[in-house]
Amino acid sequence: MLRIENLHATVDGKEILKGLSLAINAGEVHAIMGPNGAGKSTLGYTLGGRPGYAVTGGTVTFDGQDLLELAPHERAAAGLFLGFQYPVEIPGISNLQFVREALNSQRRARGQAPLSGGEFLKLARAEAAALGMDAEMLKRPVNVGFSGGEKKRNEMVQMGIIGPKLAILDETDSGLDIDALKAVGEGINRIMRAPDKAVLLITHYQRLLDYVRPDFVHVLEAGRITRTGGPELALQLEREGYAPVAA
Amino acid sequence: MVSVLELPSPRLEEWRWADMGALRAAADAPQRAAGVDPKSLFLDIDGPRLLFVDGAFEPAHSMPGPVTIARMAAESAHPLGSLAEGEGWTLSLDREAAAGTVQIVHIGSGCDSQVPARIALAESAAASVVETFAGHGWANRLTRIALGTGARLMRAVRLVQADGFVSIRDEAEVGEAASLVSIFLGAGGAGSRIDGAVTLAGKGAFAEMGGALLTRHEQKQEAAVAMRHAAPDGTSRQLWRAVAADSSTASLAARAEVARDAQKTDGEQSLRGLLLQRTATVNLKPELEIFADDVKCAHGATVGELDARALFYLASRGIPEGRAKALLTHAFVGDAIGRIGDEAVREAFAADAEAWLEVAL
Ligand SMILES: Nc1ncnc2c1ncn2[C@@H]1O[C@H](COP(=O)(O)OP(=O)(O)O)[C@@H](O)[C@H]1O
Ligand SMILES: [Mg+2]
Repeated sequence: MLRIENLHATVDGKEILKGLSLAINAGEVHAIMGPNGAGKSTLGYTLGGRPGYAVTGGTVTFDGQDLLELAPHERAAAGLFLGFQYPVEIPGISNLQFVREALNSQRRARGQAPLSGGEFLKLARAEAAALGMDAEMLKRPVNVGFSGGEKKRNEMVQMGIIGPKLAILDETDSGLDIDALKAVGEGINRIMRAPDKAVLLITHYQRLLDYVRPDFVHVLEAGRITRTGGPELALQLEREGYAPVAA
Repeated sequence: MVSVLELPSPRLEEWRWADMGALRAAADAPQRAAGVDPKSLFLDIDGPRLLFVDGAFEPAHSMPGPVTIARMAAESAHPLGSLAEGEGWTLSLDREAAAGTVQIVHIGSGCDSQVPARIALAESAAASVVETFAGHGWANRLTRIALGTGARLMRAVRLVQADGFVSIRDEAEVGEAASLVSIFLGAGGAGSRIDGAVTLAGKGAFAEMGGALLTRHEQKQEAAVAMRHAAPDGTSRQLWRAVAADSSTASLAARAEVARDAQKTDGEQSLRGLLLQRTATVNLKPELEIFADDVKCAHGATVGELDARALFYLASRGIPEGRAKALLTHAFVGDAIGRIGDEAVREAFAADAEAWLEVAL
C-alpha cells in the first residue's frame, strides 16, 4: 500500500530524513519507535505534504501512485490520514463543521455524493459514542479548550468518520490516561484493522502496543530505519532503551 | 447635488486613513443602472420596509409602517454628516412600543445621495433596524439616535455596493439602562468610512459598535468610532475585524472616553486584522482616555496572517487550500458578525461575508 524508498527530506534547509525506506502492505500494522528528535514526526509531516518539509530525494508510492506529486488535501482524498502529535486548535469552527467539510471534500474529490447534514450527524454521533467522547464536544470549536487526551480522542473520532485507508498516527498515545488509552487502542483496531487498511503507529512507548498489536516494529534513528523486528522488539526497546539496539 | 465638495484633509489625525479621493470619484461618477433588484436585498423577515433609490424614497416599493418620511436638516457638526440633508426617515417610538425589524435598502446609480435619519425610542421601546447599501455612487448618511430609559435598539448595516463610496455617520445618545448595538459589515467593492460617536448618557447604559470590514484590490474601508462614557455603570463594546486582500487597506480606529464621574465603567475594545496577502494593509488604532478611577477597560489590537498550522491541519483532512482559507477567514470575522442578535439577519450577513470570501480567495 505504501512504499517509501530512500527518502531524504529537509526542514528549513536541514536534512532530517536521510535515506529512509519502508514498505507497508494492506492489512498490516507497523510501529515506529525511536528517540526524541529522530525524525518520526518529520516522516509523518513529509508524507502528509506539510509546507516547509521538502523532499530532496527518494520516492513514495501510495496504492501505486506517486504520493509526493499530490497536494496535501489530495493525499487525504486518496485515503491517507495523519493523526497529529499536537492537534491544532481552530477557534470559530465547530468540530462538526470541520469534519463534515473534510469528509465531503474527500467524497467530492473521489466523485462520490456528499453526505447530507442528517446522515453526517448520525455518523459523527456514532463515532463519538464509540470513542467515549461526549456528543456535546462535537459542537465545540475544534480542539479549543480540549485537554491533551481529549484532543487525541478527537483525532480518532475524525479518523472514524473519515474512514481512511492508511492512518499514520503520531504519538496518539501520549497524554492519555489508561482509560483513554484503552478507548483509543480499541478505536484503532475497530476502524483500521481490516484487510484493505493499514496503520503506521509512531510511538515512544510500548503501552499502546499492548492494545494495538503491531505486525512489525521499526527503530527510527537519525533519519533512517536502523532495525526492524516483530512485537518483541518493542518490549526489548522498553527494557534496554535505544542505545544497545543501535549498537 | 454637492457641487463644491469640502472634504476633510488627510492632514487631520482623524482623517488620515480616509479615502476622500475615492469618495470624490464616486460622487463625480456618471449615472448608470444600479444593476440590482431591490427585492433580492430585503431579507425574508416580516416588518416595515423602505426603499431609497439615489436618496429618494420609493413609496411604491415600501411599507414604511411607523417610519415617517420628511425633509430634514443635517443637524451635525461632522464634516460628512453635515452634508446629509434632504429627504430622510424617522423612526420614533412611544413608551414600550416595539417596531419589530425595520428594513431599509439604499440603491445608488451613481452621483451622490444624501439621506438624514433619526431613531428616537422612548422609555422601554424596542426596535431592530437593518440597512443595506447596494449599487454605485456615493451614499452619505447621517443617523441620529436617542434611546430613552431601558430602550433597546439593534442595528445591523451591510455595505454591499459594487463600487463607489459609502460614508455613514452615527451620533447616538444612550439613556439609563438602555441598549444600543450597531454591527456593520463592509463586504462590497465600495470604499467606506463608518464614523460613530456614541454617548452613554444614562446610568447603566450599554453600547456596542463593531463589525467586519473586508477589502480587496485597491479598496480602502475604515471605521472610526468613539464611545463616550458620561455616566456611571456603563458598558461599551467595540469589536472590529478587518480582512485585507491584494493591495487594499482596512483601518480601524476605536476610542473610549471615560468621564470623571463615569465610575464602574466596563469598556472593551478588540481590534483584529487579518492580512490575506502581504501587500495588503491593516491599520489599527485603539485609544483610551480615562478620567475616572474605578473602571475596567480591556483593549487588544493585533494584525496577523492565517495560521499556517491550522491551514495544514485542514488540508491534511482533505479540505482544499482555497476552501480552508475561506473557512478560517470566515471564523475570524464570525466573532464580529456573531454579535447580531437576530438569527435571520446574522445568517444573511454571514452569507454576504461568505460570498465575498469565495471571490477574494
Ligand atoms: N520546523 C523545524 N525547523 C527546524 N528543525 C526542525 C523543525 N521541526 C523539527 N526539527 C528538527 O528535526 C528533527 C526531527 O524532529 P521530529 O521529526 O519532530 O522528531 P521526533 O518526532 O522523532 O521526536 C529534530 O532535530 C528537530 O529539532
Ligand atoms: Mg514527534
